[in-house]
Amino acid sequence: MALKKHGAKFDIFTKIAIVAVVAIISLLIVVPVLSILFESTKPSGTNVFKSVLSNPVIRGTIKNTVWLGISVGFFGTLIGFILAYIQVRVEFRGKKVLHILTLVPLVSPPFAFATAVIVLFGRSGIISHDLLGKTPMLYGYPGLVIVLSASYFPVAYLNLVGMMRSLDPAIDEAASSLGASKFRIFRTVTLPLLIPGITSSFLLLFVEAIADLANPLVIGGDYMVLSSRAYIAINGEYDVSAGAAYSALLLLPALLVFIVQRYWSQKKSVVSVTGKPSGQIAPIKTRAAKIPLLAFGWSVAAFIVMIYVAVILGAFIKILGVNNSFTLDHYRYIFSGIANSALKSTVIMASIATPLAGFMGMVMAWLIIRKLKRGADALDFFGMLGIAVPGTVLGIGYAVTFNEPLKIAGHTVIPQLAGGGAILGGAIAIMMVYTIRSSPAGQRSGIAALQQIDPSLDEASASLGASGGRTFRKVSLPLIKGAFLTGLMFAFARSMTTLSPVLFIATPETPILTQKILAESDSGRYGPAFALCTLLIVIVLVVMGIITAAVRGRGSSEFKTTIVAG
Amino acid sequence: MKKFLIGAVISALGFSLVTVGAAPANAAGSTGQSCAQEGLVRKLSGVTYTCERTNGSLKWGEGRKLSGSLTVVCGATEAWCGAMTSAFEKRTGVKTSFVRLSSGETTARLEAFKSNPEFGVWHGGPVDGFGVARIKGLIDSYASPSRNMIPKNYKDSDGYWTGVYVGALGFCSNTEVLKKLGVSVPTSWASLLNSKLKGQISTAHPATSGTAFTSLWTNVTRLGQTAALAYHADLHKNVLYYTKSGVGPVAIAGRGEVAVGLVFSHDCVFGAEQGYPLKVSFPSEGTGYEIGGVALIKGAKNPDAAKAYVDFTLSTEAQNLGVGVGAYQILTNPYARKDSRMVKLAKLKIVDYDFDKAATSKTALTAKFDADIINRSQVKG
Repeated sequence: MALKKHGAKFDIFTKIAIVAVVAIISLLIVVPVLSILFESTKPSGTNVFKSVLSNPVIRGTIKNTVWLGISVGFFGTLIGFILAYIQVRVEFRGKKVLHILTLVPLVSPPFAFATAVIVLFGRSGIISHDLLGKTPMLYGYPGLVIVLSASYFPVAYLNLVGMMRSLDPAIDEAASSLGASKFRIFRTVTLPLLIPGITSSFLLLFVEAIADLANPLVIGGDYMVLSSRAYIAINGEYDVSAGAAYSALLLLPALLVFIVQRYWSQKKSVVSVTGKPSGQIAPIKTRAAKIPLLAFGWSVAAFIVMIYVAVILGAFIKILGVNNSFTLDHYRYIFSGIANSALKSTVIMASIATPLAGFMGMVMAWLIIRKLKRGADALDFFGMLGIAVPGTVLGIGYAVTFNEPLKIAGHTVIPQLAGGGAILGGAIAIMMVYTIRSSPAGQRSGIAALQQIDPSLDEASASLGASGGRTFRKVSLPLIKGAFLTGLMFAFARSMTTLSPVLFIATPETPILTQKILAESDSGRYGPAFALCTLLIVIVLVVMGIITAAVRGRGSSEFKTTIVAG
Repeated sequence: MKKFLIGAVISALGFSLVTVGAAPANAAGSTGQSCAQEGLVRKLSGVTYTCERTNGSLKWGEGRKLSGSLTVVCGATEAWCGAMTSAFEKRTGVKTSFVRLSSGETTARLEAFKSNPEFGVWHGGPVDGFGVARIKGLIDSYASPSRNMIPKNYKDSDGYWTGVYVGALGFCSNTEVLKKLGVSVPTSWASLLNSKLKGQISTAHPATSGTAFTSLWTNVTRLGQTAALAYHADLHKNVLYYTKSGVGPVAIAGRGEVAVGLVFSHDCVFGAEQGYPLKVSFPSEGTGYEIGGVALIKGAKNPDAAKAYVDFTLSTEAQNLGVGVGAYQILTNPYARKDSRMVKLAKLKIVDYDFDKAATSKTALTAKFDADIINRSQVKG
């Protein structure tokens, strides 16, 4: 970090902020992760560890997990790369439409894709079987790769669009004037410059894929991965220690990749930030390149549209593909009980956690960029753990840690927060999960925004006698408000659609919408599952619309940086 | 469907009329008054009474003042669980909610929260799981006065669980898919091993689902453990994948993703009514059956309400609710209304299903199933 930081001495506000942030991070993420490691050292947990070397079954599960991560990382990054390339380098009509369609999967509930893919492309799928007469075998590896790549490629896309835009066109021009063809430029100039971005996208998708629990449960078939193995250990075999051990195994590659990815993304800033673009990128005009690129881009968009049409239509049709008559039964069914309370509690909890996560992210960003000299990197690292730790691991960690009151010397320090009988029906633990999962997005966008703002503004405020708290409130916060709001938007979407961490701590008093969707999908009641998905999408879109309306007019550059960071 | 819904409502109304009719004009001291039907539950000035048989005559039992709330962990369909709990809430004023979990999940949850139970009653799902819960000390015995009328073979002799319904295991076939494959509707366990049915069978995982464990135990009873596991290893080649919940295969077969689902026949009947091209058949070698149970959770928070709920589930009023919400299980209360869509056990060849032995063997057997069948295939794949 090259930025100059404010004075060595901290005022009282800064001190309080540091203590609070460290305490919150310890409680919300460090302690649960340590509990998992502790729980996994019990006999049935160490059995799992021991058999990693001796038991081919567990080795197979680990192999499956890693192979799935690599595949999704590869295909997701490839799709994201091509779409980003089209977006930046090709001129065509409907560019905005393609951009928006590409981003749609970011707000989709975890099963929307898996269930819709089965209905459309399954053995008796509407398109695969009824239209094409094929009976593809989707359950297992192929289905998982398709669904996970389609769900997560927008992450790679956002990452790469940002990078491609910041490439200096002068390099292209130089290559071109030396007589290189477009393809040669792409191969020998553009691609090498983008390698850090490609690597970091690959790694991000790798982690998302191995952390996913919802899709392996719905479309994974017999392709066992660590997250679904941990789920069966806990929910089928009643063995929490073994479940903790499996999730510890999952934690290892996830953290490793996270550290490597941080290293790459820091390198990236050295390579790609070459100052302001010094000219116009010459768009691709050759038909031979343009037509296949656009065909690919629009096919991806068409696929996404089909998925969402299936979800929305499926909610109004008796049995999509079997009995295609219109019905409102699915909505009647979900509103006759299962949706009402889940809808209410999920929205309330997400609405409480979202601003908390946003605020925490901003304070973190402010401390990291403006205040701390030593320890800034460490704080940034621990703050990002919320997304680096796989959801399954986090959920099991919470169940292990907070299912009983924390007692020190016979006194209850923290009451029981998770599970049945917990205070507020376990809602506190769920909101804690939502907060720690969402604050990293706020932290990243806050850091991105603060880095663009001259620290001398802070210094001026301080030299005029304002306290640290006043400076944060009156100077820093207003300047990063836009980033704050967009951070909130993604925090809300993330909370509403999260499943794997809350699955282990949801209680009867606080039902969760995504958990209900899982129950419906697993029982094969796709109609109600689609109705719940539609409901969830509508809520997320409405809230995003409200926040976007609030952000609009604040300069879209901020908006873009946060999207890239988020 | 509609007809039966109306029927259920009328019969429920009828019984409540009987209940009111049997009540004395003055509410005070209802205990000891005669009543019309064993197992009825009613509420007078905040006190709930259950109709019991004492010394041959039917009398209102000792009243319980019910209040507060109750959470039921429910193993049947969402619709059925919802109908039961809301009827009980209406009857008693106890705020009653439910969570639908499969057998394995229920036991896991009960064990995780053993010191601080989140549920009061476990209602629905094969009693093999209840037996496991009893061994683990998760449920309590409760001599519900309404138990008397439930036939002996449908209740635990020590009072830990009582049967509320009975279901027979069957094959649920998608006739269109079978036609395409050129396979006739399977009528034996052996016919499921047909190589034409590769990847065309859906069943749940016996560790998470009571339904799937019933089929595993049926084959253990029929063939002995070693041969049964060998049979399931063969069957595994034809299984598409194992779902978590027992009713899952109905819709998977219904949509045509597979040809045959292994489920309780009543779930298949309901699926066919929903418009899926499904047909029920039974194995000629003998099939297994489930007793869907109800039990009091050990350490239940609101024990009076929990006990009253158990009483309620055994009443004709509660049991008659099933048909209205598409649950066509055989009912254990001999006075409950019969329906033509319920399977006739007497016409089937049933294996000698030992529920106690099933419960004691369950944990080890499912672990063996996992190790020998599911995991072994992982190594190959």
